[in-house]
Amino acid sequence: MGVRSFTATSAGRVARWALHDVLHRSGSQLPGRIALSIDPQAIAHLRGKVTCGSIVVCGTNGKTTTTNLIAAALEEAGHVVLCNRDGANMEAGVAAALLPRRKADWAVVEADELSCIHILPKLRPTYLVLLNLFRDQLDRAGEIDHVQNTLVASLANSPETTLVVCGDDPLSVGVAERVLELGTRVLTFGVGEDLGLPPDRVPEARFCLRCGQELQYAYRTYAQLGSFRCPSCDFARPPLDFAARNVRTNREGVSFELVCRLGSGFVDDAGTEASREVPPANKSAVVAARVDIPSASRNVDANSFHEGGDANGMHVDSEGRSDSVERIARDVPAEPCAIVNGHVHASFGGAYMAYNLLAASAAMLLANVELSCLQRALDGYDPHNGRLQHFNVMDREVVLNLAKNPTGLNQNIAMLMEDERPKAVYVIINDDYNDGRDISWLWDVDFERLALTGAVRRVMAGGHRANDLQVRLKYAGIAASIEQDVADAIACVVDLPKEHPLYVLTNYSALAPAKSELERLERERSLSVKNAPIEE
Amino acid sequence: MNNRALRIAHLYPELLNLYGDSGNILVLRRRTEWRNMECDVREVHVGDRPSFADVDIAFIGGGSDREQRIVCDYLLETQQELAAFVEDGGVLLAVCGGYQLLGHSYLMGDEEVRGLSLIDLYTDRGSPRLIGNIVVESHIAQQPIVGYENHGGRTHLGSGVEPLGRVLSGYGNDGFSGREGCLYHNVVGTYIHGPLLPKNPGVADWLIARALERRYGSSELAPLDDAEELAANRTMVNRMLG
Repeated sequence: MGVRSFTATSAGRVARWALHDVLHRSGSQLPGRIALSIDPQAIAHLRGKVTCGSIVVCGTNGKTTTTNLIAAALEEAGHVVLCNRDGANMEAGVAAALLPRRKADWAVVEADELSCIHILPKLRPTYLVLLNLFRDQLDRAGEIDHVQNTLVASLANSPETTLVVCGDDPLSVGVAERVLELGTRVLTFGVGEDLGLPPDRVPEARFCLRCGQELQYAYRTYAQLGSFRCPSCDFARPPLDFAARNVRTNREGVSFELVCRLGSGFVDDAGTEASREVPPANKSAVVAARVDIPSASRNVDANSFHEGGDANGMHVDSEGRSDSVERIARDVPAEPCAIVNGHVHASFGGAYMAYNLLAASAAMLLANVELSCLQRALDGYDPHNGRLQHFNVMDREVVLNLAKNPTGLNQNIAMLMEDERPKAVYVIINDDYNDGRDISWLWDVDFERLALTGAVRRVMAGGHRANDLQVRLKYAGIAASIEQDVADAIACVVDLPKEHPLYVLTNYSALAPAKSELERLERERSLSVKNAPIEE
Repeated sequence: MNNRALRIAHLYPELLNLYGDSGNILVLRRRTEWRNMECDVREVHVGDRPSFADVDIAFIGGGSDREQRIVCDYLLETQQELAAFVEDGGVLLAVCGGYQLLGHSYLMGDEEVRGLSLIDLYTDRGSPRLIGNIVVESHIAQQPIVGYENHGGRTHLGSGVEPLGRVLSGYGNDGFSGREGCLYHNVVGTYIHGPLLPKNPGVADWLIARALERRYGSSELAPLDDAEELAANRTMVNRMLG
């Protein structure tokens, strides 16, 4: 460590100590900014203290939850983990996350898609997990083509990084295909079966990235994710290295069996199980998944494909490539090198959460950690970050969640519709810089679904763009009142039975205020807030 | 009066849908139906051979560069039909990328792409992109027109083409002339992308009235309760104009 980087690290640490321990602020970015201002290569200099490897998580939706789960699961396994848990996902936030401690086993880092170009070449992570790509903040992030180009360039400048990509998402697969040509190692995860869910809007990626034909689907899970195939060229959902089977999503949460066949053509073209059967011995067993891919080994040989380990194929040393995407492109069959079944369940979330858990499961296997560690992390998962956080205010259940783009809001609507209880919904939409100034996307959200059944008793609009939201809801056939804050919204439903939960869905900048307001309201046992009707 | 009906053609919704464009169709449909008129929305898809003979209102949205290029090739095949529709007083709303397609040409990167030449205008590029909320004063609506623009293109109107309105806040066609959009016969083109009509019920009703006039010879429209729409409009006008 040079003088400059030592100074940078020290200054950043002092700032972190001052903020965190003296001022009791979270200090998620400022220490990183200070360190970067002294040493622009701070991330590169800090990465050396991470001994096992690092995992970067990016994608439009699900980053924070997936990052937190992976970090918690690695800690369950006894690892020391550095992580930007609060979602400060630009370069300064990542640098700040790497400041604490002198040594760590793993760095698990959430990264903004466009910031990857600054983060990846310096951090050189072992894995980049790409969850999905949706249209989000066109004014800031630009069109999806630009996000894809940035990710390709980021991986090109971090050649030792393995891309772990959602194979069900045509837009993410588009990135994978391009980096494969650059020599990047690619692994895929996805849902290996039809979930039978009602299709939601597909605002993007309806057309083949290569030839422009409309993609066909054997099934769709949500948005543009599913088993896709171009009718006129060979662009298709690749075989899955990590697949979810027997997926259940309902109000109780998500569960699935994880089937891992590194380097196998797991799913055939029609989305059904390939002719290779899972050996009966492994079919139902919940096993300690051990898939060793030595992170220390950097000399990836493009042609080597080692199969090793014990006789059952449980323990695999796959030091080479196992990129199924490339294989389908070349149409070269390969033998499966690992078959691992494991069960994962969480008491929250819908179809989108299955993908987050699947990505986290894949990360577990790649980090050589038993899936049970992830399960323990899930069982104790209480994020306190406003993502699917539950509150009890005046004996009413209040569920807070982030919904910052059409796909996120559609998934939230799908999730709350699975809650068969009558309910109220309060949606808060801001248009601050971090939200994106453009809220046109409200018209891409299926608010009409809220009006379909009688289960939604009341809908309320809030935030800086409450008026826009109110108009959108009006044209969806829903008469919504405007409520200034969560307390007002709770007062507005005071006449509804206590068994009716209130769902509070907010976009980015509205989340933290709503969370702290709910925490305050939860503490105050009785709600003597403004506007509450006076009971005789 | 109550058995009137309108037919809307939504052109290539699968490609030109960059940001909430379908909100415009929904608003036209509801505001027609709320007045006890039937509204038939017909989607024109890639590969279709659309006829505009029985169409009252046509809508072209915006797309990414890649998608817009695909659409332009298909649209050029229907150029004569569309031109006849426009010259006959057919109502056409084109937003964002769709607006650029109305002219003689636009630039994609450095490549000049032929447009539909429905209106005497052309589009080149400038830097930076013009992004943000915009307020426009237009004689077709009582309230100022509010919305969001995000475009690298600079659109230049021919001498016989009227702008949709005057920019009160924001950039408009080129960022300096103070002109926004175009108005030609019953065609409205504008850089206000996505959901133009929800917060601008005056523009929506102008389009509906022009279509009724053309089909039935009477543009009479029953008034609607627009409290929410006008509140949203006023909120943005106040924010931008202070």
